Amino acid sequence: MNNIRNFCIIAHVDHGKSTLADRLLEHTNTIESRKMRQQFLDTMDLERERGITIKLVPVRMKYKAKDGNEYVLNLIDTPGHVDFSYEVSRSLAACEGALLVVDAAQGVEAQTLANAYLAVEQGLEIIPVINKIDLPGARPEEVLRQIEEVIGLDSSQAILASAKEGIGIIEVLEAIVNRIPPPSGDPNAKLQALIFDSVYDNYRGVISYVRLVNGRIKKGQLILFMATEREYEVEEVGFFTPSMSAANELKAGEVGYVIANVKAIWEARAGDTITDAISPADKPLPGYKRIKPVVFCGLFPIDRDDFPHLREAIEKLQLNDSSLVFEPETSEALGFGFRCGFLGLLHMDITVERLRREFEIDLVATAPNVAYEIVLSDGSVIEAHKPSDFPDPGKIEEIREPYIRLTIFLPADYVGKAMKLCQDRRGEYVSLDYITTERVRLVYDLPLAEFIVDFHDRLKSLTRGYASIDYEHVGYRKSDLVKVDVLIHGEPVDAFSFICHKDDAYKRALSVIKKLKELIPRQLFEVAIQASIGSRVIARENVKPLRKNVIAKCYGGDVTRKRKLLEKQKEGKEKMKMIGKVQVPQEAFLAFLKADEEG
Amino acid sequence: MRKDNLNYSVMPLSESFSWALSCPVSLYVHIPFCVQKCPYCAFYSVVPKTGDIESYLNLLDNELKMWTSLTGGKIHAQTLYIGGGTPTVLSSKHWEQLILTLERYVNFLPLLEASVEANPGTLSLGHIKLWRSWRITRASLGVQSLDDAELSWLKRPHGAYEAADAIAALVASGLDTSVDLMFGFPGQTIRSWHRTIKDCLKFGIRHLSIYELTLEENTPWGENPPEGLTEGYPLYRFAQWYLPKRGFIQYEIASFSLPRHWCRHNIAYWQGGNFLGIGPSAWGYLNGYRYGNASDIKLYADSISRGEFPIVYEEILPNEKAAAESAMLALRTMWGVSARAFRRKWGWQAYKKFLQVWHLLPEDCKKTIQGKHAFSAKGFRVANSLWEQFL
Repeated sequence: MNNIRNFCIIAHVDHGKSTLADRLLEHTNTIESRKMRQQFLDTMDLERERGITIKLVPVRMKYKAKDGNEYVLNLIDTPGHVDFSYEVSRSLAACEGALLVVDAAQGVEAQTLANAYLAVEQGLEIIPVINKIDLPGARPEEVLRQIEEVIGLDSSQAILASAKEGIGIIEVLEAIVNRIPPPSGDPNAKLQALIFDSVYDNYRGVISYVRLVNGRIKKGQLILFMATEREYEVEEVGFFTPSMSAANELKAGEVGYVIANVKAIWEARAGDTITDAISPADKPLPGYKRIKPVVFCGLFPIDRDDFPHLREAIEKLQLNDSSLVFEPETSEALGFGFRCGFLGLLHMDITVERLRREFEIDLVATAPNVAYEIVLSDGSVIEAHKPSDFPDPGKIEEIREPYIRLTIFLPADYVGKAMKLCQDRRGEYVSLDYITTERVRLVYDLPLAEFIVDFHDRLKSLTRGYASIDYEHVGYRKSDLVKVDVLIHGEPVDAFSFICHKDDAYKRALSVIKKLKELIPRQLFEVAIQASIGSRVIARENVKPLRKNVIAKCYGGDVTRKRKLLEKQKEGKEKMKMIGKVQVPQEAFLAFLKADEEG
Repeated sequence: MRKDNLNYSVMPLSESFSWALSCPVSLYVHIPFCVQKCPYCAFYSVVPKTGDIESYLNLLDNELKMWTSLTGGKIHAQTLYIGGGTPTVLSSKHWEQLILTLERYVNFLPLLEASVEANPGTLSLGHIKLWRSWRITRASLGVQSLDDAELSWLKRPHGAYEAADAIAALVASGLDTSVDLMFGFPGQTIRSWHRTIKDCLKFGIRHLSIYELTLEENTPWGENPPEGLTEGYPLYRFAQWYLPKRGFIQYEIASFSLPRHWCRHNIAYWQGGNFLGIGPSAWGYLNGYRYGNASDIKLYADSISRGEFPIVYEEILPNEKAAAESAMLALRTMWGVSARAFRRKWGWQAYKKFLQVWHLLPEDCKKTIQGKHAFSAKGFRVANSLWEQFL
């Protein structure tokens, strides 16, 4: 066990984590360089494209150190985004040390800090690596100072490297061997294996990535998943080299995989503990959480015939992604689809992209929304994912909405603009620190609902892309929210109702009904579009009655000409939905689903 | 359903034709010539070169001959409509030739209504004399406007005075005179529109057709729409208010007339009557079979000279669609849909379907009087939207 080192790499997006991992694989001859693909560990195209890691692929490397001994280095790659912070924390829990990669030109960014703190929390040995020192804009001294002052790590032992140029790689490997402690744990104690990820394989079922903390696991053993309380017989155990290769057993301190004929991924959740079914451990390893989705959106196939394919595709993704939840939903404009729950915006984007690319389904994703907690007058609490889940206002005692603590790193010049944006989005100021004279760390508590709309895009454009952000969920807080209903010709239309803060209700109601006024064609009668809170109408617009009519000549008895024109006209309206007596075009629903913030 | 050529000798419907054609029909004759193309007009016409008209009249003769050979006898016409194009582009001599052709193949019934379209500028006293001496009872004059500025904007080949002269001459000859007016073009105001209608009425016309300027595909303006088109709705509404005060009844969506001076030929279109159309781009309808001739004089000539009908479009609508279409057409007229007649022709199911839609229409757009369902004045104004419901 003394020659095992379990470590991970944490870094902000783009700071070179994957490139560094590739170099380590090369230097340890784990992968021959001619087989080397750029960024080997990011197996999904999407990951390589976005430069982020979504799925964790652990690799076992053998390294002959300068002290003459051979070491087994297990690299556990981590997802680099806050949406997956639970997975990050599980991966960190499987390691004893971490490489903290910081870009020599860009310095400490929001995620660097968040992940470094997570590593500190897990008690890991952290080795700072200043990457990209070959870049013309590199300011290693400055970055070293930031590591010391901002993160609070000893920077004297930081390694200067350029993964791209192969500079400092040996130093990194030596540091892993010398500074990261070997795993502790007892191979003869009762089995405790931490699942830090599970993937679904079409042929083999669920493959769990595990870190053995205590005991041993081998083929034929009866095991118990402690959180889900399921028992299975082990079919195969092994290591990643980086492809899977079977082994006789895994023992305490080692990292590998377990295949046990598990059919569904939710039965082998990240964070769960595997133990022996016959002589189980007293208690599971700490830290297991059932993660709850916080962001929701509707997914609808553009071609309605694709609905069964979409269901199949989402089910397949769910096999691999236990945090993805979905339920069927129907929309007036979009037909049948699903309401899906995600860990965050990135998780949502990636899921939608994967459905488009891997399953080739054209789909519409509606604007995301959050889950609200509603305390009813009788004291019970319900969860509402969409406006139609809201009960009658009279029955509501209190509404709570999810908040995030948002950390923004940005050049000092843009602080004013960023603060203004946060205030506009109902942010509550927490703190402001000058990291250097030019760089500022700004912290706000912000309703998640305000963040998911287009906060990041706005911030990026306000700061010309110089701001980096990170956030953590800080739970639900009471909020002065109202549900605004939209009535067309007296009929409330669920698809148009929305939740917002009381102070914004009028402004948003106005922009919604103005937009609807543009999109709803003139009818044979005047149509009133109203927005109301409960029974109180707060805004109103009228669509004037139709006047346009064309009386054309009848061409030589050609009645088909008129018929064809009418058919064409009707075709355009076929896509309309009757609401009471009013024809509402699909675009109205679409416009509303996609961007209700404009105008 | 499209066919480029259709050999009449093997036409499967010839049986049903011969029966339809042994009964009285309405006959439409298309004259595909104009002195110039108006930029908004989608009717088929060409500017004739020397000899074109003579050879065309020969082709017409042949087409009619083909139809009569289907029935083995003359065609019985209860109404005749010679339209275009511009029938007045034909000289008196041409007209004589046309009349000879018609007399050869057509048996004109007593109480015949025979209309001819005329245009100021090409209409001559010779035309009027000839028509009066033959069977013509009615003339429809393409005036469009009595305002010189408006006429020049419409690129009409005549001015207001010529139009006024033509109206006066037709009325004086004793022909039942109708005037076509157009609305909805730039610069037109409710005042100029009122003046044009009032001036037309002064001459003693008994029938008026009003059309909104429509930008049709395959016309110069359809491709490059002119700017600043006036909203037609108020002008149409004004006509609906003004003409009844002067004794005119709106008997059809675009037609106003003194009582009983309606155009029976056009009514046949709306009421599902059988009509035979001859000439390029003419349409016919015989007991449920509808056909359209080629809209190209060359194609037309080729077919006729091969002894084939120049039909390029044909359809027989299934009962449900045919019923809906017949309701839409009937609703163009003030007589509307007669519950009894409709049930008899299309059956209970179709009538029930009609009623389902009818009940959805707004109350102020419709009226039902003595078993007849018709549009109100407001209904006529928004008819396009109402018809849509029946499709």
